[in-house]
Amino acid sequence: MSYPIASSLLDGVVLSIVERENIYGYKITQEIRKVLDISESTLYPVLRRLQKDGCLNTYDEAYAGRNRRYYKITEHGRACLRQKRIDWQNYRNGIDELFFGGRNI
Amino acid sequence: MTRTEFMSGLRQALSGLPDEERANALRYYEEYFDDAGPEHEEEAASNLGDPKIVAEQILADFRELAAAPKAGGSNTGSAPPNPGGPNKKRKGINPILLIMLVLLAIPVGIPLLVIILGLLFAVAAVFITVGIVIAAIPVCLIAAGGAFSVFSFFVWNHPASALVTLGSGLGLLGAGALAALLLIKLCILFVPPLFRLFIAVLRWPIDKLRSI
Repeated sequence: MSYPIASSLLDGVVLSIVERENIYGYKITQEIRKVLDISESTLYPVLRRLQKDGCLNTYDEAYAGRNRRYYKITEHGRACLRQKRIDWQNYRNGIDELFFGGRNI
Repeated sequence: MTRTEFMSGLRQALSGLPDEERANALRYYEEYFDDAGPEHEEEAASNLGDPKIVAEQILADFRELAAAPKAGGSNTGSAPPNPGGPNKKRKGINPILLIMLVLLAIPVGIPLLVIILGLLFAVAAVFITVGIVIAAIPVCLIAAGGAFSVFSFFVWNHPASALVTLGSGLGLLGAGALAALLLIKLCILFVPPLFRLFIAVLRWPIDKLRSI
């Protein structure tokens, strides 16, 4: 059973992965796919949008005789992520309340 | 599907994008295959699916960003959205098309308009005629009454018929005066609401048009 992933949630997931380490596109996709069932093509538009919004920067680094594009979180991206974490906590608490009626399982 | 097939399909499907956007997307997927490694290329290509659908996602996203460009990003300057680009299609009806439609509607529209105006004129004429007839009743009564009364003075050599003529003349005058008063009263009662109704009927299509 899987739930559809809202784009704001996916933004938050990507931002938190990039916050941990500077990372390249393929790796981000694989990290997310460990947990969420997203298509491999979902990520490019998300990365591009986050870049346009100024949440992510890119830089190229030589790797195995070619350039690899790495993503790096910006200050604005960190602020967005903080807000997304708060939003998620509120959302999760609300759902938990509905699901479990206040009982902690 | 192989990597080459996927990439050429994607290149083709993204041909609507500005060069820089397109190069970025193609580079991302080239790198994606590189990072997947030669042994996983085939698998990655099949996981990515139809390049047209992949491209559709990118194009839709680009249109959305181009329609509402956000300032403040450190990278926003790198690829200014093309203002004459894909969002041009979103504007309303093409003016040339609109003119064509109007021209095509003229042969049907003008006769129809003439018929409607003719009908409205006929209805107005009927109402005005009825109004004149009603207004004529007291006028005629008063005129006839006046004529009888005056005429009675010429027949005083037959006092009896003179008195009858005068009497009926005055009676007609009185009836005419009463009818005139009644008509004035009716006018005061009914003309303003009728007038308002008339205005409302005229305004109805205009309001309808405005609310669309």
